[in-house]
Amino acid sequence: MSDRGPTIARRIEPLLAGAGTRPGLAPEEVALPQSAYAVQGPWRVVVLNDPVNSMGYVVLVFRKVFGFAEPRARRHMLEVHEQGRSVVWSGLREQAELYAFALQQWHLTAILETDEAH
Amino acid sequence: MKRIEVKLSLPVVAPLLDLMKASSDVLEAQIAAPITLDDIDADFREEWRAELLAGQQEELHALMGLFNSDFFINGVVAFDEDNAEIIVRACSALRLRLRRHDLSVLEDEQLESGGVDLETLPAALQKPFMCYVFLGTIQELIIQHLDGAILRGPVGDAEPSEDYGADADDFDSDKD
Repeated sequence: MSDRGPTIARRIEPLLAGAGTRPGLAPEEVALPQSAYAVQGPWRVVVLNDPVNSMGYVVLVFRKVFGFAEPRARRHMLEVHEQGRSVVWSGLREQAELYAFALQQWHLTAILETDEAH
Repeated sequence: MKRIEVKLSLPVVAPLLDLMKASSDVLEAQIAAPITLDDIDADFREEWRAELLAGQQEELHALMGLFNSDFFINGVVAFDEDNAEIIVRACSALRLRLRRHDLSVLEDEQLESGGVDLETLPAALQKPFMCYVFLGTIQELIIQHLDGAILRGPVGDAEPSEDYGADADDFDSDKD
Protein backbone atom coordinates (compact mmCIF):
# COMPACT_ATOMS: atom_id res chain seq x y z
CA MET A 1 0.00 0.00 0.00
CA SER A 2 0.99 3.61 -0.38
CA ASP A 3 3.29 5.26 2.13
CA ARG A 4 1.90 8.68 1.30
CA GLY A 5 0.12 9.08 4.59
CA PRO A 6 -3.38 10.53 4.88
CA THR A 7 -5.89 10.21 2.10
CA ILE A 8 -5.35 12.25 -1.01
CA ALA A 9 -8.43 14.36 -0.46
CA ARG A 10 -7.37 15.27 3.06
CA ARG A 11 -3.98 16.32 1.82
CA ILE A 12 -5.55 18.55 -0.79
CA GLU A 13 -7.57 20.58 1.72
CA PRO A 14 -4.74 22.85 2.89
CA LEU A 15 -3.59 23.20 -0.69
CA LEU A 16 -6.99 24.49 -1.77
CA ALA A 17 -7.40 26.62 1.34
CA GLY A 18 -4.16 28.33 0.48
CA ALA A 19 -5.27 28.95 -3.08
CA GLY A 20 -8.69 30.22 -2.09
CA THR A 21 -7.59 32.67 0.55
CA ARG A 22 -4.57 34.10 -1.20
CA PRO A 23 -5.69 34.97 -4.71
CA GLY A 24 -2.85 37.40 -5.16
CA LEU A 25 -0.31 34.64 -4.77
CA ALA A 26 -1.08 32.14 -7.47
CA PRO A 27 0.46 28.69 -7.22
CA GLU A 28 2.87 29.16 -10.09
CA GLU A 29 4.45 32.08 -8.29
CA VAL A 30 5.42 30.14 -5.20
CA ALA A 31 9.17 29.72 -5.07
CA LEU A 32 10.29 26.11 -4.89
CA PRO A 33 13.66 24.87 -3.76
CA GLN A 34 16.04 24.52 -6.67
CA SER A 35 17.61 21.44 -5.15
CA ALA A 36 14.29 19.61 -5.36
CA TYR A 37 14.00 20.47 -9.05
CA ALA A 38 17.49 19.21 -9.58
CA VAL A 39 16.56 15.85 -8.11
CA GLN A 40 13.06 15.41 -9.45
CA GLY A 41 12.71 17.85 -12.36
CA PRO A 42 9.58 19.91 -12.85
CA TRP A 43 6.26 18.15 -13.33
CA ARG A 44 3.54 19.78 -15.36
CA VAL A 45 -0.17 19.54 -14.69
CA VAL A 46 -1.89 19.61 -18.06
CA VAL A 47 -5.62 19.92 -18.64
CA LEU A 48 -6.92 18.42 -21.87
CA ASN A 49 -9.96 19.62 -23.76
CA ASP A 50 -13.26 17.79 -23.46
CA PRO A 51 -16.45 18.61 -25.32
CA VAL A 52 -18.65 18.25 -22.24
CA ASN A 53 -17.60 20.64 -19.52
CA SER A 54 -18.67 24.20 -20.28
CA MET A 55 -16.31 27.14 -20.42
CA GLY A 56 -17.89 28.64 -17.32
CA TYR A 57 -17.43 25.39 -15.44
CA VAL A 58 -13.76 25.11 -16.39
CA VAL A 59 -13.10 28.71 -15.36
CA LEU A 60 -14.77 28.03 -12.02
CA VAL A 61 -12.64 24.93 -11.47
CA PHE A 62 -9.40 26.75 -12.23
CA ARG A 63 -10.36 29.55 -9.84
CA LYS A 64 -11.32 27.07 -7.15
CA VAL A 65 -8.38 24.70 -7.43
CA PHE A 66 -5.57 27.18 -8.09
CA GLY A 67 -7.00 30.42 -6.74
CA PHE A 68 -6.47 32.03 -10.14
CA ALA A 69 -8.03 35.43 -10.72
CA GLU A 70 -10.76 35.23 -13.34
CA PRO A 71 -8.73 36.62 -16.29
CA ARG A 72 -6.01 34.07 -15.72
CA ALA A 73 -8.49 31.23 -15.31
CA ARG A 74 -10.21 32.32 -18.50
CA ARG A 75 -6.90 32.45 -20.36
CA HIS A 76 -6.12 28.86 -19.43
CA MET A 77 -9.66 27.78 -20.27
CA LEU A 78 -9.37 29.33 -23.75
CA GLU A 79 -6.02 27.63 -24.23
CA VAL A 80 -7.63 24.30 -23.43
CA HIS A 81 -10.55 25.05 -25.73
CA GLU A 82 -8.54 26.33 -28.68
CA GLN A 83 -5.31 24.36 -28.44
CA GLY A 84 -6.63 21.22 -26.81
CA ARG A 85 -4.48 21.54 -23.71
CA SER A 86 -3.07 23.97 -21.20
CA VAL A 87 -0.24 23.66 -18.71
CA VAL A 88 -1.89 25.00 -15.58
CA TRP A 89 0.86 24.38 -13.07
CA SER A 90 4.41 23.09 -12.87
CA GLY A 91 6.61 22.22 -9.96
CA LEU A 92 7.40 19.39 -7.61
CA ARG A 93 5.90 16.04 -8.35
CA GLU A 94 3.98 15.53 -5.14
CA GLN A 95 2.20 18.85 -5.38
CA ALA A 96 1.56 18.33 -9.07
CA GLU A 97 -0.13 15.05 -8.18
CA LEU A 98 -2.35 16.81 -5.67
CA TYR A 99 -3.41 19.40 -8.22
CA ALA A 100 -4.07 16.73 -10.84
CA PHE A 101 -6.16 14.82 -8.32
CA ALA A 102 -8.12 17.95 -7.42
CA LEU A 103 -8.84 18.64 -11.09
CA GLN A 104 -9.93 15.05 -11.63
CA GLN A 105 -12.28 15.36 -8.67
CA TRP A 106 -13.97 18.05 -10.75
CA HIS A 107 -14.07 15.60 -13.68
CA LEU A 108 -11.57 17.48 -15.81
CA THR A 109 -9.13 15.44 -17.87
CA ALA A 110 -5.89 16.32 -16.13
CA ILE A 111 -2.60 14.57 -16.74
CA LEU A 112 0.94 14.87 -15.43
CA GLU A 113 3.96 15.34 -17.65
CA THR A 114 7.69 15.57 -17.17
CA ASP A 115 10.43 16.48 -19.57
CA GLU A 116 11.32 12.81 -19.66
CA ALA A 117 8.06 12.14 -21.49
CA HIS A 118 9.25 14.15 -24.51
CA MET B 1 -27.51 31.82 3.24
CA LYS B 2 -27.99 32.29 -0.46
CA ARG B 3 -30.46 29.80 -1.88
CA ILE B 4 -31.85 29.14 -5.32
CA GLU B 5 -35.19 27.44 -5.72
CA VAL B 6 -35.95 26.19 -9.19
CA LYS B 7 -39.42 25.07 -10.13
CA LEU B 8 -39.22 22.45 -12.81
CA SER B 9 -41.87 21.13 -15.13
CA LEU B 10 -42.66 17.65 -13.80
CA PRO B 11 -43.92 16.28 -17.14
CA VAL B 12 -40.62 17.31 -18.74
CA VAL B 13 -38.17 16.34 -16.01
CA ALA B 14 -39.71 13.21 -14.52
CA PRO B 15 -39.13 11.10 -17.65
CA LEU B 16 -35.45 12.04 -17.55
CA LEU B 17 -34.91 10.73 -14.05
CA ASP B 18 -34.85 7.07 -15.04
CA LEU B 19 -31.97 7.68 -17.39
CA MET B 20 -30.19 9.83 -14.81
CA LYS B 21 -30.60 7.06 -12.25
CA ALA B 22 -29.38 4.38 -14.64
CA SER B 23 -26.34 6.45 -15.57
CA SER B 24 -25.71 7.23 -11.94
CA ASP B 25 -25.81 3.52 -11.09
CA VAL B 26 -23.16 2.79 -13.70
CA LEU B 27 -20.98 5.51 -12.23
CA GLU B 28 -21.06 3.79 -8.86
CA ALA B 29 -18.24 1.65 -10.22
CA GLN B 30 -16.73 3.72 -12.98
CA ILE B 31 -15.00 7.09 -13.07
CA ALA B 32 -16.82 9.39 -15.46
CA ALA B 33 -13.90 11.27 -16.99
CA PRO B 34 -11.52 9.50 -19.37
CA ILE B 35 -8.51 9.79 -17.11
CA THR B 36 -5.30 7.84 -17.27
CA LEU B 37 -3.14 7.33 -14.24
CA ASP B 38 -0.06 6.18 -16.11
CA ASP B 39 2.13 8.80 -14.49
CA ILE B 40 1.04 7.87 -10.99
CA ASP B 41 3.04 5.38 -8.96
CA ALA B 42 1.59 1.92 -9.52
CA ASP B 43 1.06 1.28 -5.82
CA PHE B 44 -0.76 4.59 -5.53
CA ARG B 45 -3.17 4.20 -8.45
CA GLU B 46 -5.78 2.10 -6.72
CA GLU B 47 -5.99 4.48 -3.77
CA TRP B 48 -6.23 7.38 -6.20
CA ARG B 49 -8.97 5.73 -8.23
CA ALA B 50 -10.89 4.64 -5.14
CA GLU B 51 -10.93 8.15 -3.72
CA LEU B 52 -12.09 9.65 -6.99
CA LEU B 53 -14.82 7.06 -7.19
CA ALA B 54 -15.95 7.62 -3.60
CA GLY B 55 -16.21 11.35 -4.22
CA GLN B 56 -18.15 10.78 -7.41
CA GLN B 57 -20.56 8.44 -5.63
CA GLU B 58 -21.21 11.06 -2.96
CA GLU B 59 -21.90 13.68 -5.61
CA LEU B 60 -24.35 11.50 -7.49
CA HIS B 61 -26.22 10.52 -4.34
CA ALA B 62 -26.62 14.22 -3.53
CA LEU B 63 -27.91 14.98 -7.02
CA MET B 64 -30.39 12.11 -7.15
CA GLY B 65 -31.49 12.99 -3.61
CA LEU B 66 -32.88 16.27 -4.95
CA PHE B 67 -35.54 14.34 -6.80
CA ASN B 68 -37.25 12.91 -3.75
CA SER B 69 -40.93 12.59 -2.89
CA ASP B 70 -41.19 16.34 -2.21
CA PHE B 71 -39.98 17.03 -5.71
CA PHE B 72 -42.84 15.00 -7.15
CA ILE B 73 -45.30 17.09 -5.11
CA ASN B 74 -44.08 20.59 -5.86
CA GLY B 75 -41.53 20.20 -8.67
CA VAL B 76 -39.00 22.31 -6.81
CA VAL B 77 -35.30 21.64 -6.34
CA ALA B 78 -33.16 23.87 -4.15
CA PHE B 79 -29.49 24.74 -4.33
CA ASP B 80 -27.56 26.54 -1.65
CA GLU B 81 -24.06 27.06 -0.33
CA ASP B 82 -23.98 23.57 1.12
CA ASN B 83 -24.82 21.60 -1.99
CA ALA B 84 -23.78 23.88 -4.86
CA GLU B 85 -20.34 22.40 -5.38
CA ILE B 86 -21.32 18.78 -5.07
CA ILE B 87 -24.29 19.18 -7.44
CA VAL B 88 -22.25 21.00 -10.07
CA ARG B 89 -19.72 18.18 -9.98
CA ALA B 90 -22.39 15.50 -10.14
CA CYS B 91 -23.87 17.14 -13.22
CA SER B 92 -20.46 17.07 -14.85
CA ALA B 93 -20.03 13.36 -14.10
CA LEU B 94 -23.42 12.47 -15.51
CA ARG B 95 -22.95 14.61 -18.62
CA LEU B 96 -19.63 12.88 -19.29
CA ARG B 97 -21.30 9.51 -18.97
CA LEU B 98 -24.18 10.51 -21.25
CA ARG B 99 -21.80 11.88 -23.84
CA ARG B 100 -19.57 8.79 -23.90
CA HIS B 101 -22.31 6.20 -23.71
CA ASP B 102 -25.63 7.54 -24.96
CA LEU B 103 -24.60 10.39 -27.24
CA SER B 104 -21.40 8.96 -28.67
CA VAL B 105 -22.67 9.25 -32.24
CA LEU B 106 -22.77 13.03 -32.00
CA GLU B 107 -19.75 15.05 -33.04
CA ASP B 108 -17.83 17.04 -30.44
CA GLU B 109 -18.41 20.18 -32.48
CA GLN B 110 -22.16 19.66 -32.38
CA LEU B 111 -22.19 19.44 -28.61
CA GLU B 112 -19.74 22.27 -28.04
CA SER B 113 -21.55 24.66 -30.36
CA GLY B 114 -24.99 23.69 -29.11
CA GLY B 115 -25.93 23.09 -32.72
CA VAL B 116 -28.13 20.08 -32.10
CA ASP B 117 -31.78 20.25 -33.07
CA LEU B 118 -33.79 18.02 -30.76
CA GLU B 119 -36.52 17.56 -33.37
CA THR B 120 -34.15 16.07 -35.91
CA LEU B 121 -32.41 13.71 -33.51
CA PRO B 122 -33.28 10.00 -33.71
CA ALA B 123 -35.81 9.08 -31.03
CA ALA B 124 -33.27 7.04 -29.09
CA LEU B 125 -31.06 10.09 -28.66
CA GLN B 126 -33.72 12.57 -27.67
CA LYS B 127 -34.03 11.66 -24.01
CA PRO B 128 -30.26 11.44 -23.41
CA PHE B 129 -29.81 14.76 -25.13
CA MET B 130 -32.56 16.40 -23.08
CA CYS B 131 -30.94 14.99 -19.98
CA TYR B 132 -27.57 16.34 -21.08
CA VAL B 133 -29.01 19.81 -21.64
CA PHE B 134 -31.01 19.71 -18.39
CA LEU B 135 -27.91 18.91 -16.35
CA GLY B 136 -25.98 21.63 -18.14
CA THR B 137 -28.72 24.11 -17.31
CA ILE B 138 -28.56 23.19 -13.62
CA GLN B 139 -24.81 23.76 -13.73
CA GLU B 140 -25.21 27.14 -15.39
CA LEU B 141 -27.78 28.25 -12.83
CA ILE B 142 -25.59 27.27 -9.93
CA ILE B 143 -22.45 28.80 -11.40
CA GLN B 144 -24.33 31.99 -12.19
CA HIS B 145 -25.79 32.41 -8.71
CA LEU B 146 -23.62 30.43 -6.31
CA ASP B 147 -20.11 30.60 -7.74
CA GLY B 148 -19.07 32.76 -4.80
CA ALA B 149 -20.16 30.07 -2.37
CA ILE B 150 -18.24 27.43 -4.31
CA LEU B 151 -15.10 29.55 -4.40
CA ARG B 152 -15.32 30.30 -0.69
CA GLY B 153 -15.90 26.67 0.21
CA PRO B 154 -18.32 25.23 2.75
CA VAL B 155 -19.71 27.47 5.48
CA GLY B 156 -17.22 27.75 8.32
CA ASP B 157 -14.15 27.89 6.10
CA ALA B 158 -11.84 30.87 6.02
CA GLU B 159 -13.37 34.23 5.16
CA PRO B 160 -13.19 35.06 1.47
CA SER B 161 -10.59 37.59 0.47
CA GLU B 162 -12.54 38.64 -2.57
CA ASP B 163 -16.18 39.56 -3.02
CA TYR B 164 -17.67 37.06 -5.41
CA GLY B 165 -21.27 37.73 -4.33
CA ALA B 166 -24.14 38.02 -6.77
CA ASP B 167 -27.17 40.20 -6.19
CA ALA B 168 -29.97 37.69 -6.32
CA ASP B 169 -30.81 36.18 -2.97
CA ASP B 170 -33.61 34.13 -4.31
CA PHE B 171 -34.40 32.87 -7.75
CA ASP B 172 -37.42 31.19 -9.17
CA SER B 173 -37.39 29.75 -12.60
CA ASP B 174 -40.18 28.02 -14.40
CA LYS B 175 -39.04 25.72 -17.14
CA ASP B 176 -41.50 24.54 -19.71
